[in-house]
Amino acid sequence: MKNIIRVRKVCLPLCCIIIIVCMIVGITRSAATKDSLLIGVSPEDESYYKGLSSSGTIKCKDGSQKFSKSQLNDDFCDCPDGSDEPGTSACPNGKFYCKNAGHAPLFLYSSRVNDGICDCCDGSDEYDGKVKCLNTCWEAGKVAREKLRKKIATYQEGVTIRMQEIKQAKVSIAKEEGELSKLKDEEKILKSLVEQLKERKEQIEKAEEKERLQKEKEEKERQEAEEAKAKERQEAEEAKAKETKSENTEPMQNDIHDNIGTIYEPPQDSAEDHHDSVDEPELSDHSIKDELPNDGVEGVAKDSLQNTKQLGEDSTVDVKTDVDTGNQDENVAEDTESLSREELGRLVASRWTGEKTEQHTEDLDVPLDKDHQNLDETPDEINSEEDNGYDSEDDEHRYDAGDDSEDQVDDFGGEDHYDSSSSQKLESDDELDLSDITGSSSSTWLEKIQKTVKSIFQTVNLFQKPVNISEAAHVRKEYDESSAKLSKIQSRISSLTQKLKQDFGPEKEFYSFYGQCFETKQNKYTYKVCPFKQATQEEGYSTTRLGSWEKFEDSYKIMQFLNGDKCWNGPDRSLKVKLRCGLKNELTDVDEPSRCEYLALLSTPALCLDNKLKELQDKLESLNKDQPQGHDEL
Amino acid sequence: MGKALCIILILLISLNCAFSWKKDEFRNCNQTPFCKRARSRKPGACSLIATDVSISDGDLVAKLVPKETNQENDENQEKPPEKPLVLTISAYQDGVMRLKIDEDQSLGPRKKRFEVPDVIVPEFLNKKLWLQRVKEENNDDGSGISSVVYLSDGYEGVIRHDPFEVSVRESGKNGKKVLSLNSNGLFDFEQLREKKEENEDWTENFKSHTDSRPYGPQSISFDVSFYDADFVYGIPEHATSLALKPTRGPGVEDSEPYRLFNLDVFEYIHDSPFGLYGSIPFMISHGKSRGSSGFFWLNAAEMQIDVLGHGWNDESVLMLPSDQKRVDTLWMSEAGVVDTFFFVGPGPKDVVRQYTTVTGAPALPQLFATAYHQCRWNYRDEEDVFNVDSKFDEHDIPYDVLWLDIEHTDGKKYFTWDRVLFPNPEDMQKKLAAKGRHMVTIVDPHIKRDESYYIHKEASQKGHYVKDATGKDFDGWCWPGSSSYLDMVNPEIRSWWADKFSLENYVGSTSSLYIWNDMNEPSVFNGPEVSMPRDALHHGDVEHRELHNAYGYYFHMATADGLLKRGEGKDRPFVLSRAFFPGSQRFGAVWTGDNIAEWEHLRVSVPMILTLGLTGISFSGADVGGFFGNPDTELLVRWYQLGAYYPFFRAHAHHDTKRREPWLFGERKTELIREAIHIRYMLLPYFYTLFREANSSGIPVARPLWMEFPADEKVFSNDEAFMVGNSLLVQGIYTQGAKHVSVYLPGDESWYDMKTGTAYKGGVTHKLEVSDDNIPSFQRAGTIIPRKDRFRRSSTQMENDPYTLVIALNSSKAAEGELYVDDGKSFEFQKGAYIHRRFTFSNGKLTSSNMAPATDAHNRYAPDCTVERIILLGLSPQPKNALIEPSNHKVDVESGPLLLRKGMAPSVLTIRKPNVRIADDWTIQIL
Repeated sequence: MKNIIRVRKVCLPLCCIIIIVCMIVGITRSAATKDSLLIGVSPEDESYYKGLSSSGTIKCKDGSQKFSKSQLNDDFCDCPDGSDEPGTSACPNGKFYCKNAGHAPLFLYSSRVNDGICDCCDGSDEYDGKVKCLNTCWEAGKVAREKLRKKIATYQEGVTIRMQEIKQAKVSIAKEEGELSKLKDEEKILKSLVEQLKERKEQIEKAEEKERLQKEKEEKERQEAEEAKAKERQEAEEAKAKETKSENTEPMQNDIHDNIGTIYEPPQDSAEDHHDSVDEPELSDHSIKDELPNDGVEGVAKDSLQNTKQLGEDSTVDVKTDVDTGNQDENVAEDTESLSREELGRLVASRWTGEKTEQHTEDLDVPLDKDHQNLDETPDEINSEEDNGYDSEDDEHRYDAGDDSEDQVDDFGGEDHYDSSSSQKLESDDELDLSDITGSSSSTWLEKIQKTVKSIFQTVNLFQKPVNISEAAHVRKEYDESSAKLSKIQSRISSLTQKLKQDFGPEKEFYSFYGQCFETKQNKYTYKVCPFKQATQEEGYSTTRLGSWEKFEDSYKIMQFLNGDKCWNGPDRSLKVKLRCGLKNELTDVDEPSRCEYLALLSTPALCLDNKLKELQDKLESLNKDQPQGHDEL
Repeated sequence: MGKALCIILILLISLNCAFSWKKDEFRNCNQTPFCKRARSRKPGACSLIATDVSISDGDLVAKLVPKETNQENDENQEKPPEKPLVLTISAYQDGVMRLKIDEDQSLGPRKKRFEVPDVIVPEFLNKKLWLQRVKEENNDDGSGISSVVYLSDGYEGVIRHDPFEVSVRESGKNGKKVLSLNSNGLFDFEQLREKKEENEDWTENFKSHTDSRPYGPQSISFDVSFYDADFVYGIPEHATSLALKPTRGPGVEDSEPYRLFNLDVFEYIHDSPFGLYGSIPFMISHGKSRGSSGFFWLNAAEMQIDVLGHGWNDESVLMLPSDQKRVDTLWMSEAGVVDTFFFVGPGPKDVVRQYTTVTGAPALPQLFATAYHQCRWNYRDEEDVFNVDSKFDEHDIPYDVLWLDIEHTDGKKYFTWDRVLFPNPEDMQKKLAAKGRHMVTIVDPHIKRDESYYIHKEASQKGHYVKDATGKDFDGWCWPGSSSYLDMVNPEIRSWWADKFSLENYVGSTSSLYIWNDMNEPSVFNGPEVSMPRDALHHGDVEHRELHNAYGYYFHMATADGLLKRGEGKDRPFVLSRAFFPGSQRFGAVWTGDNIAEWEHLRVSVPMILTLGLTGISFSGADVGGFFGNPDTELLVRWYQLGAYYPFFRAHAHHDTKRREPWLFGERKTELIREAIHIRYMLLPYFYTLFREANSSGIPVARPLWMEFPADEKVFSNDEAFMVGNSLLVQGIYTQGAKHVSVYLPGDESWYDMKTGTAYKGGVTHKLEVSDDNIPSFQRAGTIIPRKDRFRRSSTQMENDPYTLVIALNSSKAAEGELYVDDGKSFEFQKGAYIHRRFTFSNGKLTSSNMAPATDAHNRYAPDCTVERIILLGLSPQPKNALIEPSNHKVDVESGPLLLRKGMAPSVLTIRKPNVRIADDWTIQIL
């Protein structure tokens, strides 16, 4: 309270001075403009209008007409481009210049002149006496300059950080490039070793192998027979189900209904339960099946079993599903009769809002997306997944957990382990795992293996007879270890290659973005932006993909993420991240200006450009220069 | 398998995006027993005869009784003898005849049938002529006698006794018929019965809904014939052609009647007789030989109307004399009484004027409301609002009103704000108001059943809700979920509601906030046909079926009253409503509901708006851009170019659509949209003058061509072009990538292209090249259009700007036009505070004269605005200067641009800076 009073005491005389100064400025301004016809003319244009005094008439800037001195600012538009009326509202296409001494000069649309609204801080746009505009340029200018100074300070610091990061990035890239080529060499060597070991191992195990193969063959035949039987049974049941099916829809459509009905739509009675306990794990089953081809046989069998089971259960196709999926069949609407009043209300409301429906379509989207992804997945990515053999246990575990948030297929792996801070490294995993091979001792382990292998070959070579068990075990162990190492190296190579082919910007300033995610929480949503990868919106346990990394746009001022999850009645979700200079990488704002088209702001030192800093400094300088004398002393 | 499933899912999802009209959710005529019954009646089925014809209380009264038939028939039918009906004919000034038929109250019917209150304006009742005598005459064909009463100079009302027929004819025994009722003998009136007959079930089922129908069948149907008519028009709201196509008769297969039943139709289709959001049972006919006549049935129950094509009754025994061309129609209503109005015309404008003397003239909107409105479901929060607002300024695009849809509320509780999104609604409105801009928020009639919501608490405590058939508060589903509906037919409840709009009651509102009434059909998501059950009960035990079509009307009325009260009667209300009924024009604007971003919806917007104008609702428009779906930019631009001429000009979009504010489609498109909006602002003085004309005469702002050119047959069914006032003709472009368009310009005089000043001959179809920067628009020779060519942020800043007068001379080098100006806000104009100028140009002299009656100095309105430019089209050779009187000074006449635009500006003859005051009398003589 005391403080406030004191501030006021200081403020009062200050304000008085300001007002007096403003009045003086105002008076001088109007005095100056009264006898000048050059209202609204910028200094750059003064020479153009000088032509009027010398030659009497000049051409409009667009050359279309001529006008005389008496037509200049006479409140009648003679030039369609507005050049004869810089200071009035007579020409719709004119521009009015306000000097705004003490602040930045401004060009206004001439429609703002004498419209009763003060647009120029010096009030020069309102001179017809209908409103009085105070000259606020000095205060406004002060605020603007202060803001500019702060911005410059940020830039100054940011430029330094940026340079450091660029330096670091270049070093890291060089290192990684070195590592990559080294790894590639090692891969070559190791590959041949593994080949040799494999050959040897195969020789050793030939007999057992043969036997086992034989056994497996028999096993497979039996399985196939079973599967055929199961299929027959399923078809029979499907046919039966079709017959019991309701109205006159053609069989194809029935199939569609059935599939949706069974897989994604719970029967009406125990909606919630069913949804949770049956649907979601089943979705996961699907994904596992699709992703791990080995499981194929078993997966399909299980699936068809479940299908048949549910076909029996699900004698009525839920209306919601039909409507949601856009079926406009007559008998569908008929079915609304079975809805409760509230359900009917919600259903009809959902036509306009899509709200309730979206829930369902999103459910549908998940498997759809998965299928998409699987279809779209480049062989590279599949390989990298397979190569990550040592990870696969983890993966399966994840799917078993049935966690929604894990539905996103993770190309890079290891996403499980990041903490909750707003930006994280993603690759800690990789690096940790490879520490034993990428460390300084890397050459030693390779040598060691080479030695061991050599010794094995030597030892094994000594024996002409079939191998004994301990020999076999030794070879097998060596083979297993080496091939594990090889796959690790290959995985590292692929991830490094993947990384190094990214566009890190003209100066590699975005290198550090790789493998990082930036997060911000807004209301109930957590937005996560992972450059070069993807962006998501999380709410509780559900994750919506806002898009996959597309590219930088607008000369590296925008990061674009495209092809996110589909919106009901709308486009695929997408996100643009606007980048601006800041001292930290910080996601500050996420917005959805248009339905399912998101916009976020990310401050980052990477955008603190030197030339922009110079621009700002120049601007500040010019602002200070334009400032009327004496103000700074106040 | 995976792949197949994937493809199927994609198919299903894409199907979901396709627009769909849920046809089977709405009843067709066959599923509507009264309609089915009425439609199956044979001509001549009506056996009622008029008896006891006499004059009573200035009216002609008669009884309608069944013709005595032989006993056998009676026994066979086992029907109780029909009670007589009471028929009343009254005459009113200006050629209006009213015919009422109801049950005889003196015989104590089970229930008083519903008559719609508060639609007929009191002034009309004062115009009643007290009939003194009735004369009888023998019918020419020997079919007995008729009783004849005086109606107006030149017209008589006639009632033929047996079989009964009511008609209006030109005076004299052989006077030509104008309009008649029951000429085809289809009249039927189901009287209320105490008891069901044996095996009779009064309940009706539709889908899962049961209508208990406690009063049984009570429908009314009859035929109406329009004589010397080539076409009939009117009876909105349908998305269909302006000239109503026959729904029955030779060559018409399987058509539904035009349905009048206010419904919230999801994604309505663009060519259908099915009912939409509003209903006006007013039909207007037009023919080359005579002109126009009109027929209005004041009835708020579901109505179905057949337009019967020529030869529809060829096989019937009953043949009407065919010396006069005729259009027959069949009118069917589920309940209510016969309360009908016959309008004699004879001009189209006469009929509209006569109709609006009954239901009231359109309110004069505030000036801002006639400018451009920017809407979207939803402008999400204050930041969004400020962004959109500042982007308009940034791109120098004027707009006057920013709208907030349902999401601005706290949980769809109207009169509340989502305080997270809109923490400071007053400040927000004030910031916009500082730029002369206004805001509109939505207030719908469904009230969230939430005990913590003050409106609900009060309404339920006071019993203000509509009741269901069992007498409990009706509970239906709408945006907020479980909701109840205020019983707006009750004047007390309307008054209570109106109070909710005061600045203190509506927290967060300011005086620059106006209101939007949506969903007032009423829309009930889980009700039959997405509306309220017909057996729901209103004030006075009126069944919902009896007043359904008027529900939205009363809600609109109550809301407009609220704004009137808020402004202490000084501020003209602005309320946009989706539902409407006869008389809605008195309360505000109407729009054509949830249209679709398709070219065909752009096209049908014109007949829909023209039809509304013909039926009194002058202030109407369609959502520019189309509500559902994403218009491509060409369609959007074309929509702006056409929408700029809609009387109500608002862009709106569904929340699932991409953002489509004018600047989002690249510089060129921004320029095109800006130009379209600029045209509207430029023409605001002209539009406002037309709104005043509508306010004083009922003549709509947007008019069918035949209203201005009633003798030109070529335009009778033209609904691609229309007139704005009597001076401007506008033709939309309704196809993608159009290179050429054919425009028929009616009349003998020339037309001047608004953009180029080029003259085109009248009475000729011109094939014109189409450009992307405008749609064809022409000023009619012989007219003067006042403009304001300076573009401001909003109409508010244009108040003091000078005028441009555009004079298009006709073949005798003459022209005339008008300008009406007032303060644009208040009701002071009703006390004479306005200027109304007439400009006439003849003999090389332009004269500005006063049209307003003399008022006392106290109420004078005299703006300082001047005329800065006068453009003369069609004058040659070029004069040098002009003399202004009375100031007696000379001004230059020179060549200047027709439009102040960059680049190509066609040169036209311009009187430079006459600087005469718009409010003064003056003349300008061309020298």
